[in-house]
Amino acid sequence: MTRTSPALGEPLMQIRKLDKSFGGVKAVQDVSLDLRAGIVTTLVGPNGAGKTTFFNLITGNLARDSGQVTWLGQDTAGLKPYRLARAGVGRTYQDLRLFDGMSVWENVLNATEHGAFPMPMSRAHRRGRRERMEHVLERTGLIDKRHTRAIDLAYAERKFLSMARIMATEARLWLLDEPASGLDPNSYERFLTILREDVAGGVTVCIIEHNLDIVVGISDRIAFLDRGKLLADGDPKTVLNDPELARIYFGDRA
Amino acid sequence: MEAYIYNLVNLIAIYAILAVTLNFIMGYAGIYSLAHAVFFGLGAYVAAWVALHVHPSIFVTLAAAMASAAALSLLLALPALRVRGEYFVAASLGLQVLAVTVFSEWKSFTGGIGGVLAIPPADVFGVEVFKPQHFAIVSLIALIVVIGLINALVHSSFGRNLRAIRDSESAAASFGKNVPMIKTLSVVISAALAAVAGALYASYMSFINVESFTLDTSVLVMAMVIIGGTGTVAGPIVGAALLMLLPSAISWIDFLPQTEVGALQQIIYGLGMTLLMIFRPGGIVGRRAGV
Repeated sequence: MTRTSPALGEPLMQIRKLDKSFGGVKAVQDVSLDLRAGIVTTLVGPNGAGKTTFFNLITGNLARDSGQVTWLGQDTAGLKPYRLARAGVGRTYQDLRLFDGMSVWENVLNATEHGAFPMPMSRAHRRGRRERMEHVLERTGLIDKRHTRAIDLAYAERKFLSMARIMATEARLWLLDEPASGLDPNSYERFLTILREDVAGGVTVCIIEHNLDIVVGISDRIAFLDRGKLLADGDPKTVLNDPELARIYFGDRA
Repeated sequence: MEAYIYNLVNLIAIYAILAVTLNFIMGYAGIYSLAHAVFFGLGAYVAAWVALHVHPSIFVTLAAAMASAAALSLLLALPALRVRGEYFVAASLGLQVLAVTVFSEWKSFTGGIGGVLAIPPADVFGVEVFKPQHFAIVSLIALIVVIGLINALVHSSFGRNLRAIRDSESAAASFGKNVPMIKTLSVVISAALAAVAGALYASYMSFINVESFTLDTSVLVMAMVIIGGTGTVAGPIVGAALLMLLPSAISWIDFLPQTEVGALQQIIYGLGMTLLMIFRPGGIVGRRAGV
């Protein structure tokens, strides 16, 4: 699968002065960030820093109080999440939200189907789709479980099914919410391999992650959020070596 | 005797259409409606009116019944888009109660409590079908067509979208599904096909009144779906047949005084449903507990 234009490093999604409050609590304050093509941006920060809220805001799952988000140069204001998804913004959820009553195969197949009405499809197209899906299931190690219902999968398999769904789509931006948390070392290697291959294939990734090994191993850039504010945004070494940020992250804060 | 059996066949076919169409939204979209009898009734009243005042051809009555049910179902789709689970059940209950009032009070259209009398028999290509054994052909064909349609939908991308929405609306939207559109379509399809049962019922019985379209009917149809197996293809048909045959089966027990049949039936219903949900929550056709 090829994903062309914009060129590497050009911003796919631009976020400007994003704000969101819940009651009196400012969940996201004045956050500006560019998600650039072919680059892995990692969002780090303590629990409750506003990382998932940030995802919900830029996908339109939550309405923003103010600020602007553009996708491929277009303002996304008022755009429903499903529209943005069709335009190429994919996401996973921390709590996975698999289609539990459906088989692994159906979960992945459904991720590729948009329209409300069944569309006639040529035999070649159908075969192409099946081969793509088989490839995705092989890479995620789920090919032998294709007829298993999602709810009957083991923990790591569920995490990989969540990845398999987004891999099967044409999305060019992947917003991944803690995709590797709780994985054993083998699964974790598999996950890193998948991510590296797809990034090399042209996918742009923004990932929420707590595991600093992953953060260092995969990130091109780190954005550090705390209490809704973007405290730092830069190359991994600089951000991770900042003693002030380390203090906030590892918490000897009163 | 023969007419008696064919009468049962017709009633089972009509209720099976209701159960299959309710299962479509209950079992696949997760929309638990207690207003299914509203569309059954609307279909029956519209078909009766059209047969009496316009043309008794079954194709005309069916089309009119389906169109009006589809239009009214948008009223049900509205809450379905906003709320889920028990909240939607409450909203559909409201629609059911409202509809019964309208059915009883709108005398010029529904005949009020007295109902609509002397509905012409179904006219199929100019042939009047009024004998139960002949009507059985019509009702069974209708049932087969409805099952075929629902089956095709359920096994297409539309059916997968419904199940995806049932399992996680937000995730479905994240994969590009227009959730409100898909839910609305499912409610419209379900209601329009339930109206087919109504149209058949009106021309078969030649008399209808509000008694057949109350909350009791909605609950009965839901029981058929649950007992047979929610979200399965055969379940609602098995459930409909079982619950329609039960009263007749009990009346065959000849040592029972006729006055006790009703009470016994209620006890068997109640016990059966409770035991079934304990040992086979997926219904007769569904998965066993713990599988």
